[in-house]
This record gives sequence, structure tokens and C-alpha cells, in this order.
Amino acid sequence: MVGIVLVSHSLELARGLADLASQVAGAEVKVEPAGGGPDGKLGTNGDAVREAIARADCGQGVVVLADLGSSILTVRHLLQGKANGHVRLVDAPFVEGAVAAAVMSSAGQSLEDVARAAEEARGASKF
Amino acid sequence: MQASFESTVALPAGVALHARPAATFVKTALGFRSQLTVGLDGKVDSRVANAKSILAVLALGATGGTVLRLSAEGEDAPAALEALASCVSGLVE
Repeated sequence: MVGIVLVSHSLELARGLADLASQVAGAEVKVEPAGGGPDGKLGTNGDAVREAIARADCGQGVVVLADLGSSILTVRHLLQGKANGHVRLVDAPFVEGAVAAAVMSSAGQSLEDVARAAEEARGASKF
Repeated sequence: MQASFESTVALPAGVALHARPAATFVKTALGFRSQLTVGLDGKVDSRVANAKSILAVLALGATGGTVLRLSAEGEDAPAALEALASCVSGLVE
């Protein structure tokens, strides 16, 4: 299955969303949170993101969603020079994208399809 | 042109098409190649969603006991429709 990594300035936000996505999609999908700075306060931490990607990777690829601004920069920096397509940062709404990606992954869909579902979440109405 | 198949099925009482039940439904739909939709019964609300999109299915907000209209178009449409209908009737919270 495709792994999912959730990068947020807040560890609580990343963890809470990982819980939500796992609850909806089922525990078999790896949804790994990476949040907060090295000092445990709000911020981003490249090492935490790298470790989360390693934990999420089951060989089928990893989709990374990030909340805002420097979270994106941190992931981009980390993936620079490793553009083999196995780990994909997607431009997607954090909550809806994570849930859509986790469900697609749980159904055994490809990295391409999981990434697309996350990005298409941008256009989805809530009701 | 591929034939289109339709059927209706009610959600079990007390089981809304949300969170896990919705994901179970979408996972079933993703196992088929046909285009699949799920819609509300049309009495008050006739919105239709792509059955392979969790966000679209969640947005229907279908509550327990709601009659759903299922439609399928494609090579495995009859099998998909049968699988989705039995999935819906067997959903649990």
C-alpha cells in the first residue's frame, strides 16, 4: 500500500489528522504524522519528516501532504535531488486530501491514483 | 455505447454513510472498472456522487435508512451493482 505522511507545524494537528484518516480508511494503511519543530514547539523539522517517510514506506511509494508555508519548504528541501517519483509531495487540502489518499491507498490503488485523489480533494464540496 | 444499470438499496437503520461505512462502500466500488454512482432517492434531495470518491460519498450525508440509487456503466456493471447493493445492506457502524 501507498504510505501517507502528514506534515504540520503542529504535532497535535498531524497526529489528530493521522488518527482521523486511519479511522476512516482502516488501520492497515500507514499514515504517519510529522509535526512541530525540533524544540517541540510549533514549527517544522526535516529529520521528523524524513523518519515519517521511512516509517510510511512499504515499497509502493509515499504521498506527503503538508499544511502551510514552511512545511512545504521543508518537504521540498528534503526531496531535492531525490526526484525518483517514489515519494510525492501533493498540492492538496490537508484534511480532505489526507482522508481521500488514505482511502484510495487502503483499496490498493497506485501511487499515481492516490496522489490524484488527494489533489482532486481541492474541488470537492463538503455538502 | 455501454448499457447502464440501476438499482436502489436502503442503508440499514442506524448506519449513516459516513467515515468507516463510507470507506467500506468506496473500497468496494474501487474494485470494479465500471463508472459507478450513488445518489439520494430524489424525494427531497437528488444529489449523485461518484461512488469511487470518499469525499463525494461523505458529502451526500446519507443517514441510516436512506434509500440510495446506485448506477453502473461499463464492462462489469452488473457485478458492480450487485456487490455495491450487498455492501450497503451489510454495512455496520
